Amino acid sequence: MDNLAELLHGFTIAVTVPHLALMAVGVLLGILVGVLPGLGAPNGVSLLLPLTFGMQPVSAIILLSSMYWGALFGGSVTSILFNIPGEPSSVATTFDGYPMARDGRPTTALATAFGSAAFGALIGVILITFLASWVAQVALAFGPAEYFAVYFLAFASFVGMGGAAPIKTVVALAIGFAIAAIGIDTVSGSVRLTMGVDELVKGVSFVVAVMGLFGIGELLVAVEEEFHARAVSSKIDWREVFRAVGRLPQHGVALLRSAAIGCWMGITPGGPTAASFMSYGIARRFSRRGRYFGTGEVEGIISPETADHAAGTSALLPMLSLGIPGSATAAVMMGGLMIWGLNPGPMLFVDSKDFVWGLIASMYVGNIVAVALVLLTVPVFAALMRIPFVVIAPLIVIICVVGAYSVSNSYLDVVMMLGFGIVGYLFKKLFYPLAPLVLAIVIGDKAEDAFRQSMLISKGSLGIFFANKLVTCLIVAGIALLLLPLVLQLARLWRKPAPSTDRTTAEEKVII
Amino acid sequence: MISRRALELATAVLTGSFGVAVVVSSLDNGIGWSSAGVDAGTFPFLTGIIIVVGSLYNLVRGVLPAATLASVPIAITPIELRRLAGLFVPAAIFVAAIPLAGMYVASALYVFAVLAIPRHQSVPRALAMAGATALALYVVFERMFQVSLPHGALAAAFGF
Repeated sequence: MDNLAELLHGFTIAVTVPHLALMAVGVLLGILVGVLPGLGAPNGVSLLLPLTFGMQPVSAIILLSSMYWGALFGGSVTSILFNIPGEPSSVATTFDGYPMARDGRPTTALATAFGSAAFGALIGVILITFLASWVAQVALAFGPAEYFAVYFLAFASFVGMGGAAPIKTVVALAIGFAIAAIGIDTVSGSVRLTMGVDELVKGVSFVVAVMGLFGIGELLVAVEEEFHARAVSSKIDWREVFRAVGRLPQHGVALLRSAAIGCWMGITPGGPTAASFMSYGIARRFSRRGRYFGTGEVEGIISPETADHAAGTSALLPMLSLGIPGSATAAVMMGGLMIWGLNPGPMLFVDSKDFVWGLIASMYVGNIVAVALVLLTVPVFAALMRIPFVVIAPLIVIICVVGAYSVSNSYLDVVMMLGFGIVGYLFKKLFYPLAPLVLAIVIGDKAEDAFRQSMLISKGSLGIFFANKLVTCLIVAGIALLLLPLVLQLARLWRKPAPSTDRTTAEEKVII
Repeated sequence: MISRRALELATAVLTGSFGVAVVVSSLDNGIGWSSAGVDAGTFPFLTGIIIVVGSLYNLVRGVLPAATLASVPIAITPIELRRLAGLFVPAAIFVAAIPLAGMYVASALYVFAVLAIPRHQSVPRALAMAGATALALYVVFERMFQVSLPHGALAAAFGF
């Protein structure tokens, strides 16, 4: 029970007045970016990143992670009240959340969403508490080959389980790798892929990419479908909040199943968006009231929300213990860790115990703070949605421009950010996934280094990736995930007469 | 009007040309095995090849009338295109103006132009919002976080 002792120590770090204040600030900023279309958790966190450089790492991560929780909650608020998902991962919440709110039960919808979200997050944090240090201990024995195998598995699971078209995922991943390679090569010291632009020697920061892809890109998608904020009443009836939360245990099966899906998709980097869709799809199949889904079913809110938050939370597990982020936002946070001088991965549990356990403890507290704050501020943020989009859009553009510039005071970054914006728009429009692209930019270098170091050890033989049981398993699992879409495709062709029995097609329909 | 097919093709060509650029550029660093281990260009070379091959696949998928494409033949309608341009063109002009006008002046002008010219807001309100934006940027970045934003060539000429 070492973990519990460490956790208690973590609480003494997390539950201090300055850190509680940071949580409140982070959650409020998070709800703000979650509510505003065009700003989401990934670029919210990257905007805040330059402002944390002067802080203690543990304070900085508490601020950033609280912002993440806030953004996850904020996205659900607009989904339910306005039928506008503030975050990609809360799209599935609109399916049943908005109909329920429209039928005059906005409080029930919100309370159900927040209650199940908190449950999902709690399961995620418990998982981290008990599993993260164990995983880290196992990973301490990893050599470069094992690391490369884990990276490979992470990337392969995007292709196999991400839900987007597999080849588009592969292209997005490879583009991320190429962008990561731009600049000075850490192994040989030579300059790569600058295409004659001297300023590119410093490389392309993931913050610039995130600002463009998620900020400008999402803004362009949002402006295209000029939404009208037809809000339903945003008044909160507190007695109904407790009644709705009290009714949640009746849906225990759905809660546990969705939390399990969420944790799985968070740890293997499928991400919260895929998790919420998958959970909704599965719930609709297995629920006795499945055919009423889409008309305001309680389980239709519980399933995506629980999975979304479970995935968002557990995405930090591989980031902390292996140095592999499980979602785009976790990737940005990991970039932050590296900037603060920490080395994400198993050594973190040895060298920076205060940081790790302070963060884990803050996740328990932060989620409670987030639920309380989001319930209290729903009317305020709902009012924010009534500001016309034409006023908000230029402000978000300016925020992204300033954010990209302040990374390294470079005008080229601003221009690149705008370019990434176009790419982000095209990719979103055509269902290319963005999370793997960001992930590859952040950890592409590490994956490459692991590969090259293993090659040095083995003197150029690929046999090192099959040298022991562990690494073989990882590589084989990775290859299996890569081939999964192909196998499913073949299986579907094989039994074409009865396509409706194929569960994956149903899920894909939901995802697409 | 832009069809889904045209958009798929354009994106595949875009990613494909990036892939070709990566392949060509990585050849300069050397690919394969040398005394120092795997050459610096090898990894980018491989990713470049993957991008090119993947883009070709997406290109072919975009040309063939697949079921998913047939269901959404039109990707961007003329009205949507106008809305997109309405957001992106001023944003691009804003970014282009930063080296000359500086971040503060450029963003104030940008906010004013976007709000006042299409008459979304009255001129005095647009002016107020433009001023507030520049002031907020100055207070937050220059004062609170000591991040210096570009003042622009014009400001430099006047000795700021």
